[in-house]
Amino acid sequence: MADFVQLVILGLLAGGVYVAVGVGFGLVWGVLNIVNLAHGSLVIVGGYLTWQLFTTLHLDPFLTLPVDAVALFVFGYALQRGVINRIIRAPLLFTFLLTFGLNLIVVNMLLLIFGSDFRSVTPSYSGQGLELGSIVIPYVRLISLGVAIALSASLAFVLNRTRTGLAINAIAADRDAAQLVGIDLRHAYAVTYGLGAACAGVAGGLIAMIQAITPTAGEPYTLQAFVVVILGGLGRVSATVVGGLAFGLVEAFGQSIPGSGSVFANAIAFSLMVLVLVTRPQGLLGRLR
Amino acid sequence: MQNASSPEPLLKVRGLTAGFDAGPVLFGIDLEVEPAALVALVGANGAGKSTLLGVLSGLVPAAGGKISLAGADVTNERAESLVRKGVAHVPQGRRLFGTMSVEKNLLLGAYLRRDREIRDDMTRVLDHFPALKDKLPREAGTLSGGEQQMVAIGRGMMARPKLLMIDELSLGLAPKVVDHLIEVVREINREGTALILVEQDVLVALDAADRAYVLQNGKVALSGPAGEVKNDPGVRKAYLGL
Repeated sequence: MADFVQLVILGLLAGGVYVAVGVGFGLVWGVLNIVNLAHGSLVIVGGYLTWQLFTTLHLDPFLTLPVDAVALFVFGYALQRGVINRIIRAPLLFTFLLTFGLNLIVVNMLLLIFGSDFRSVTPSYSGQGLELGSIVIPYVRLISLGVAIALSASLAFVLNRTRTGLAINAIAADRDAAQLVGIDLRHAYAVTYGLGAACAGVAGGLIAMIQAITPTAGEPYTLQAFVVVILGGLGRVSATVVGGLAFGLVEAFGQSIPGSGSVFANAIAFSLMVLVLVTRPQGLLGRLR
Repeated sequence: MQNASSPEPLLKVRGLTAGFDAGPVLFGIDLEVEPAALVALVGANGAGKSTLLGVLSGLVPAAGGKISLAGADVTNERAESLVRKGVAHVPQGRRLFGTMSVEKNLLLGAYLRRDREIRDDMTRVLDHFPALKDKLPREAGTLSGGEQQMVAIGRGMMARPKLLMIDELSLGLAPKVVDHLIEVVREINREGTALILVEQDVLVALDAADRAYVLQNGKVALSGPAGEVKNDPGVRKAYLGL
């Protein structure tokens, strides 16, 4: 029983990271119809920012997260406004190619600046945890889960309660009609991508505290974000939260099967994605469009 | 046609040409809309009516010619700038934000406005369309065709336009519903908003309008007071089946 509870907790904690990685990816996909293959590289940019601020300024890594968010928002806004907007109405393949190329550029810029060494962020409390009987909850992961939930709630607030969110929902629903009510598409697209990048940056900051990062460490996260968004369903922040936590749980239980390891866990998670696509293509909480 | 005492036209189009990759659609359109006029724009399928509205609202680029709004050149200005200057376009097929509530659709009509009278205008829209009063929280996509057209027109009104352009108001709607919508459109016009009514149902538009333009293969084939256009032998033969 204790093992089971421990697995559920570990799964949810891991899921927190997937939620953080997934929300920005889901936003960009749902609103702009861009499967952003550069998402993982933006995550790692956030990771390096946190690492840099932690090592040079000795800031608490959680306090660097707002810096990650703002820096990545600005970067994402500029990227969309200057580059991706040019092909926004092109077929999906073009956005694949472009974001794939952007991913390569960002990864190689990181290699140039930071080298390929592993970097990790280890505040004084890393490795410590909350002990409840035989169950241990690592502090860093516990706070990360809280941050991921807060990040999702903030994004949902922006989307559902602000004028900016109204515009983002409108361009997601009908671009031409959005233009006709006076929404500046170039700006609204860029804000959307900027918000997605900001979420990626925060996710990267969390990841840098949990694992050692290298410039290429982001690639699995693009794939995982894809699975998480499909699991939960496109178009709603809450769906991505459910998808991320579900992904974490499945992974944790997959790893616990005797004789299986982390490789097997991935296979199980992706099998689940295929199962969801076959039986419930709109995702667990999604709606058919 | 225009005498010296008449005011500057609200909208003045001269020699407008436009098209798409597949080829040109509009060939030198001249058109004028006086303030608070109700103008019908009629013609067969493919005559260029919707393209013309698209150019006027900034969705389709003009290849040549000039568009003036209240005397100022607005040719090829961006859509949001034209909305700000008082042009609202209710597109063909309503194009509502289907997964959003009726209320949010209406509020989005006022997206560029920062004044405090947005709620008053919402009340005004609901006075014109009482059927929408208890449907504000409903998803716009779940409404009937007639109600969706009400939301689309209401969304256009929420921008407080000087010129409201409605594309295919009658399309797919029962005659009774069309009569009601036309009645509301005339009220809106009487309250001081100039209107361009684009219609395939020529009779509906000509009966409602003061002036009419007949578009044929991307050119203005005929224009004049709506009554005269309605009695033109060519129009009666080609569009009214008389």
